[in-house]
Amino acid sequence: MSPFNRTATASVLYDAPGPRARARYRVFGVLSLIGVAGLLWFVYATLDDKGQFNPALWDVFQYNTVQQRIVDGLLATLEAFGLAAAFSLTLGALLAAGQLSDHKPVRWACTAVVQFFRAMPLLILIVALYYAFFATDPMWALVLGLTLYNGSVQAEIIRSGVNAVPRGQGEAAYALGMRKTQVMASILVPQAVRSMLPSMISQLVVTLKDTSLGFIITYHELLFVGKAIASQPTNSAGFPYIPVVLVIGPIYIALCLLLTALARWIEARGRRGANRRTSTAA
Amino acid sequence: MTESPVEDSISAAAPLVVLSKVNKHYGALHVLQDIDLEIRQGEVVVLIGPSGSGKSTLCRTINRLETIDSGRITIDGHPLPAEGRELARLRTEVGMVFQNFNLFAHKTVLENVVMGQVKVRKVIRSHAEKTARELLDRVGVGAQADKYPAQLSGGQQQRVAIARALAMKPKVMLFDEPTSALDPEMVNEVLEVMRQLAADGMTMVVVTHEMGFARSAANRVLFMADGRIVEQNTPDAFFTAPRSDRAKDFLSKILHH
Ligand SMILES: Nc1ncnc2c1ncn2[C@@H]1O[C@H](COP(=O)(O)OP(=O)(O)OP(=O)(O)O)[C@@H](O)[C@H]1O
Ligand SMILES: [Mg+2]
Repeated sequence: MSPFNRTATASVLYDAPGPRARARYRVFGVLSLIGVAGLLWFVYATLDDKGQFNPALWDVFQYNTVQQRIVDGLLATLEAFGLAAAFSLTLGALLAAGQLSDHKPVRWACTAVVQFFRAMPLLILIVALYYAFFATDPMWALVLGLTLYNGSVQAEIIRSGVNAVPRGQGEAAYALGMRKTQVMASILVPQAVRSMLPSMISQLVVTLKDTSLGFIITYHELLFVGKAIASQPTNSAGFPYIPVVLVIGPIYIALCLLLTALARWIEARGRRGANRRTSTAA
Repeated sequence: MTESPVEDSISAAAPLVVLSKVNKHYGALHVLQDIDLEIRQGEVVVLIGPSGSGKSTLCRTINRLETIDSGRITIDGHPLPAEGRELARLRTEVGMVFQNFNLFAHKTVLENVVMGQVKVRKVIRSHAEKTARELLDRVGVGAQADKYPAQLSGGQQQRVAIARALAMKPKVMLFDEPTSALDPEMVNEVLEVMRQLAADGMTMVVVTHEMGFARSAANRVLFMADGRIVEQNTPDAFFTAPRSDRAKDFLSKILHH
């Protein structure tokens, strides 16, 4: 029950493998390595067969202007993501507070907002915002759409995290005479944060990937730029679609890995904090 | 029957907690039925009764962790406020100790006892810490001040919980089965703290099945069944000669094993 026992239970959950299990794992390891290598070779061979590694298709990446466009696209993606991440976490916190309110109308209204924007397909939301309000400024249609959708999801994550704190914690705080805001801020939220963190970060990863929807409303983010590059035919070898995918795709993957690494780091820091407390106090 | 001087002074004192015609339902279940109860300054009242009879519910209505449907509860002459700042202020005057301790898991023992004083009573931190250390010493866990609750035994945690409640300087303390979640060897260390508290004149409402504690520390035993107070008496009279069949039946069950 206590958040501080997690490191201990992590190893308890699994039996340490015995000699036979270890041998089995080694066989599985080798087999999967062979499988993955085969798959990669198949992909490479197919693409090569279709002439996708023809240097003429890749020449385009040598131009400074093209490189600059990719960097600009990346920056645009990061700008939309940064704004959407900050706004959606703020909105999520506000909506969660509203959903946990003692006042029925507030609770009701916030729940309605959360359910509506969670159910609404993000693409429709972004396109609607674009045509209705932001035809000249697609970035804000994208940011607002991402904020409303992801803010609602974050609200659900925060609300369920707070509700998952054992009931006695809140009761004990009320019994001391704390007010609701004090109970939230000093007892419930601090205990909820640790369990919420992984889900919040995965939702941020989703937010990051969904910035690519901006290309539909002509926001010049990474995917838009990629599509523009790919639709200019090369002299001899046709459109460089696959090469663009092979360049843009890994950039998204790298960004997501960075976010995940950040999450790990935050989590590890929290855990180390807990362990430090444990060891100095014991 | 001759009353001791202590009991004389208690019966002369003004009622501190008064419940009149208190009713509460959980859906169709009538958990509290026309409860009338007066608890005097310095009195120690033990509530016993079968599981589900409404003991916890009664206890929790006194600091409004449970609301009531009808009736009236007053503490030191003031009716229990329904909400807001007044309710919070009243709760500081009613200490509560839970079966599962409910210490704040993310705070040290010291911080558990300091927090309420600083956040609610607005005591300066250094004073609050001094008070906290004194209280922790008084309940015998002063050496554990910098540990986290999960590192303490159940008995130690419950004594910290008592210290945490005392730090608010309450007028009355509620105990809901404070020793039921403890291993047998830890029960006495908690009961000893409670006995001391009773001897110091604290007004206490204690839900417990510890007959030894009831006999040695209580002024009055209330027997509850099906949402009613069926019988009340001094501990000696109640345990040796229960009047109602429900009480006789209940006592025979808990005493014969
Ligand atoms: N939140 C609730 N919702 C619905 N019913 C409840 C709730 N809390 C308690 N009850 C019911 O009310 C009745 C009285 O419960 P209460 O906890 O006061 O009994 P108790 O005398 O303390 O019993 P125990 O000795 O088991 O602690 C029980 O039948 C219980 O199931
Ligand atoms: Mg109970």
